[in-house]
Amino acid sequence: MTKTFLSPPIARILGIAGAVLAIVAAMLPWTTFVLNKGAWPDKATLQFFDAPFALTGFRWELFLVGIVALVCSVVKVPAQRRVLRGLGFGVAAIGLVNFLFITAEGGGLGAVTAADGASAFGSVAALVAGGLLILGTFGQPLEEIPRWKTNLPTPVEYLGLLVSFAVLLYVVSLTLTAGGQGGAANPYSGPMFLSFLGFGGGLMAAAAGLGILRWISKLSEKHRAFSIIVLLLCAFLLPFTNAGTEYWMTVAANIGVYAATAIGLNIVVGLAGLLDLGYVAFLGIGAFVAANLSGAAASSLGIHLPFYLVVIISAAIAGIFGAVVGSPTLRVRGDYLAIVTLAFGEIFQIAARNNIGGLTGGSNSIPNIPPLQWFDGTAYNESITLFGTPLPSGVLYYFLIVVLIAAVMAVFANLKNSRMGRAWIAIREDEDAARAMGIKTGKAKILAFLCGAVLAGIAGAVFAHKTSTVGYESFLFMESVTLLAAVILGGMGSIPGAVLGASLLFVLPEKLRAFSDYRLLIFGLALILIMRFRPQGLIPDRHRRAELAGEDAEGHTLAETPGDEPEQPRPQEVPAR
Amino acid sequence: MTTLLQQLVYGLILGGTVGLIALGYTMVYGIVQLINFAHGEIFMVGAFGALATFTWVIPEGVKGTWYITLPLMVIAGAVVSMVLALIIERLAYKPLRNAPRLAPLITALGVSVALKEAVRLWYPGATAPLPFPKAFLAGNIDIGPVVFPKTGLLLIVVTIVLTTLLQIYINKSRMGRAMRATAQDPDVARLMGINPDRTIVLTFAIGAVLAGVAGVLYGIHLTNISIDIGFQNGIFAFTAAVLGGIGSIRGAVIGGFIIGLVKTIAGQYLPGGTQYDYVWIFVVLIAVLVFRPQGLFGETERVRA
Amino acid sequence: MRKKVATAAVLAAGALLITSCSTNKSETPGGNAAGGNQCDTSKGTLTVGVIAPLSGELTALGVGIRNSAQLAVDQANEKCTVKGYKLVLDPQDDEKNPQKAGQAATKLSSDPNTVGVIGTLNSSTSQTVQPILSGKKIVQISPANTSPTLTRGEDYKNAPKRQFDTYFRVCTTDDSQGPFAANYLVQKAGKKKIAVIADGKTYGEGLANEFEAKAKANGATIVAREKVGEKDTDFSGVIGKIKPLAPEAVYYGGEYGAAGPLSKQIKEAGLNIPLMGGDGIVDDTYGKLGGAATQGDLATSVGAPADKLPEAKAFIDAYNAKFPKDQGYSAYGSMSYDATNALIGALATTLANADWSDSQRETLIKNVQSYKQKGANGDIAFDQYGDSTNKLLTVYQVNNGKFEPVETGKLDS
Repeated sequence: MTKTFLSPPIARILGIAGAVLAIVAAMLPWTTFVLNKGAWPDKATLQFFDAPFALTGFRWELFLVGIVALVCSVVKVPAQRRVLRGLGFGVAAIGLVNFLFITAEGGGLGAVTAADGASAFGSVAALVAGGLLILGTFGQPLEEIPRWKTNLPTPVEYLGLLVSFAVLLYVVSLTLTAGGQGGAANPYSGPMFLSFLGFGGGLMAAAAGLGILRWISKLSEKHRAFSIIVLLLCAFLLPFTNAGTEYWMTVAANIGVYAATAIGLNIVVGLAGLLDLGYVAFLGIGAFVAANLSGAAASSLGIHLPFYLVVIISAAIAGIFGAVVGSPTLRVRGDYLAIVTLAFGEIFQIAARNNIGGLTGGSNSIPNIPPLQWFDGTAYNESITLFGTPLPSGVLYYFLIVVLIAAVMAVFANLKNSRMGRAWIAIREDEDAARAMGIKTGKAKILAFLCGAVLAGIAGAVFAHKTSTVGYESFLFMESVTLLAAVILGGMGSIPGAVLGASLLFVLPEKLRAFSDYRLLIFGLALILIMRFRPQGLIPDRHRRAELAGEDAEGHTLAETPGDEPEQPRPQEVPAR
Repeated sequence: MTTLLQQLVYGLILGGTVGLIALGYTMVYGIVQLINFAHGEIFMVGAFGALATFTWVIPEGVKGTWYITLPLMVIAGAVVSMVLALIIERLAYKPLRNAPRLAPLITALGVSVALKEAVRLWYPGATAPLPFPKAFLAGNIDIGPVVFPKTGLLLIVVTIVLTTLLQIYINKSRMGRAMRATAQDPDVARLMGINPDRTIVLTFAIGAVLAGVAGVLYGIHLTNISIDIGFQNGIFAFTAAVLGGIGSIRGAVIGGFIIGLVKTIAGQYLPGGTQYDYVWIFVVLIAVLVFRPQGLFGETERVRA
Repeated sequence: MRKKVATAAVLAAGALLITSCSTNKSETPGGNAAGGNQCDTSKGTLTVGVIAPLSGELTALGVGIRNSAQLAVDQANEKCTVKGYKLVLDPQDDEKNPQKAGQAATKLSSDPNTVGVIGTLNSSTSQTVQPILSGKKIVQISPANTSPTLTRGEDYKNAPKRQFDTYFRVCTTDDSQGPFAANYLVQKAGKKKIAVIADGKTYGEGLANEFEAKAKANGATIVAREKVGEKDTDFSGVIGKIKPLAPEAVYYGGEYGAAGPLSKQIKEAGLNIPLMGGDGIVDDTYGKLGGAATQGDLATSVGAPADKLPEAKAFIDAYNAKFPKDQGYSAYGSMSYDATNALIGALATTLANADWSDSQRETLIKNVQSYKQKGANGDIAFDQYGDSTNKLLTVYQVNNGKFEPVETGKLDS
């Protein structure tokens, strides 16, 4: 990134022009006519030069980014060009998303340029503005990301963390509700959500350029316990925000189940380096065990045990299967092992489909599994009132799953730092060397499979009660791939990474249901792009970072400055079709 | 006895298809240590390419003449598969040549999903199985009560002929030696004046051509194709490649035939019947990997970084 | 320079400080260029949900369901069926996955304007959707669920018990279609040795089970019971297995995608026997996939033959005029059309003299229960369990690749 083909003053002028143009773009009309499916959001046929503060939605977002960009380009801020470049990507993303969608929905370029005597160059202007802003950063090489002091008085640091996490909570809630709930009444929720992602991504990139994100991550590493408690609190507060609807609680709980499973998979893949392509089978085993012990009418056993017992039994049985599946690792390595696990996954799926032993219900699945009961008999799928706030139904499952994830994370973190965890990492790095150093590799590998399977089994038990139906369709090969993709997208061996990966892979399809036909295609392409451009994942694990960033990550420093990878702040890629 | 013979015939025909696909797996894995998950989909796309050629390119008048239609479709399928494989190799795999080994595997999964979806979305009517023309002599050769479909016979013969040719090519030709050298050690191969990139591209191309041919013959034999044929046959083929020993041409094809026979014989005689016939394939796979990881004809497994 | 920068900064900051002026900006609602006769839609918009697989291998069926529901909704809007309201369709993809279906149901049910849901396609997905919608008193009418347990419970033969007040279906269940097919194949067609094959899914297995029981009761021998994968294209293993048992007919529980190739491969293996199936194979694609080999194959389907009913013909014509050729109405399109019309009809009755609110849901359920109209599949009405009262079934036989009706009747049990 040392292209400097523009003279600094010209670049500077371009940047300012871009920022101004972004503000202008926000106020220009965006469509020339009201589209057939309904008006494009935020009164897109109107100009807002006479009322800049009546802007809403994506135009308000663009306006904000434009103002920030303008301020940053005239005032001297640290790492100015990094910040501006991030904002430029944000502006361009908003422009591009709206340009493409309005063109597609309006049936031609007339909708975004001029037609029937009306003109609407908003999206074009935004695209140009974004381009100018990015171009404006080519005047001089990009600056180093600034470093901020991390040895402030403890209360100040705590306050900083508190504010950061509060902002995080707000961002999560905003992201979930961005674009509104899709559906017939709101046909443009997909593009609005993508616009919001462009907006948020631009601001995030700017924050990363300023070094704020790194500062926060360093602080949270310094005050681990405090951060964890605050994060947990934030998770519990999510239902009290705008995202606290029944729908999002259901989705969040589903994501939670998969996130917990993904963390389990992370033990096998991320820590021990054993690729497992049939992992979802353990989730399935846990779920089927729980379904059969839940007293559901369709289960052939007809036994009803209390939930905590069921969890233990599910975990135990899944663990046994985990050890069995893991046993070939004693002799099989690498990609061959992946195929063995794939084979086990397929065997499980075929057996479940054929209702083996009458335990899986076959294609009928096991329906009507009763919901869990709170101690006072409240079913988990009822709505409750907490601190005077009515919370939507499903929120109890959400809380349960937050607790589950917290527990799983704690197990994972402890395992990772234990003797066994170090043994796993050693095996991942070099199995022969690990064996030579006296690590019982066979035992360790089987234990990795067992631990991963136990976690998946627990998640499965919750899953069974939450979805109320357990059938083989939920445990197909594609699900294993999705889980693996979640781990890899987030960053192998990294706990927050697995949660983030699972969230992205399950939130995005929900948000972009309008493109449900293209869902899997985009999903496939996304896997390719991630591997090509960011193989270490979004939140790379510290040890793993060096390995996966590739051999030519020049100037890589060692243990003293663990957080300093030569990382480019990259705004979220907008998967515009 | 009749039943057994009949199932053997069916098993051999399935095995021919699986073997042809397995060749692509075994060669690619042998040379770049990549489980090319997308290879099954390349087989599928080859079949669709041939079907498209038949539907829109071949003139109405000659569609019934097998000695014109069949070669045209086979060439079309092979070309479509090869071009596709080369594009994938260039855009998706090549940039990851030195990446950690999970990266290309995940990429391959992504390519596989994307290819399947692309065909479903953009090939007219591909959401359901599509009829495939019988561009070869219809009917059976009757051996007593056992029927041997002519298209099936064609599949087996083509598999054996192509394998033999490939084996000769790899053993005797300059390029073949280059391939073997690159598989042994790409760095040393480079020192010896071999261009590993070109060799790898050639490997992908040969594998894809074989898969494309397999796709066309599979379609002609079963007279229907769907977007799902890729994944399933792809897994069978990988199993076959492992069974035969990764890197072994002969092994892949023999592995393919064994897989085909295991499936039909298990469906006939083992408990669970056809419901569990796939399971036995996987059981064989696991057993081989555990007790003889180098496969039937493979060398002892090299420790691969 | 410095001064300029400062001025600019002050200006920008100043602009930020001005709070929003009370400008009255409004956009003229336009667009709806669809029809000349504008209905009164002053009371707002109501949503009809659809849950069906819109991606994955059952897309063709799901799209048929969605499009047909769309057709019914559009027609209702044109005819101003529901006074004062505009109806919109909200199709949700369930990927035939129960969990995804549950999520879609939650999403639809959290919209207070959702009056009802058409779907699902698979019985397994319906099992998750039922309790969610029932909890919110939202009507669900399925065009395609055939498992009897959904309406009458696990012990549906001996102790039928209604499961959910909100759940209805317009299709028949396996326990009437299977036996009807068995009566025809064993008694009328005189096939005494039958091989039964099913695709392992709820629909196919359920149908095959019911068929098998009745065929045995009718004195036929079931020589084999086999299972194939729903994604299979190669059936040689199963065919090799049933061939030496010399069956006189094959009964297949499943859908056309596998049934067409299966029929063809059976005949190519030298077994010249007819294949019989349920409504899942009644689609022109069956003849295309199976080619000449399907000549003489049989199938049962619900209701009277389409060309005999003017309503059905009207539906088919309207559908083909509206949707592109590659999106056929498929096996359950007409069912979905009838289901949507039942919902809309009941809604029109409910809202004839009332405004929509949550308290109307009970009335809507009652009105669906008492709904009675002629649809594209004959009479549409519901019995005390929520099942269709239309037990009329038709046997079809393939002639030149098309299903032609042979006889129509009721199951006399």
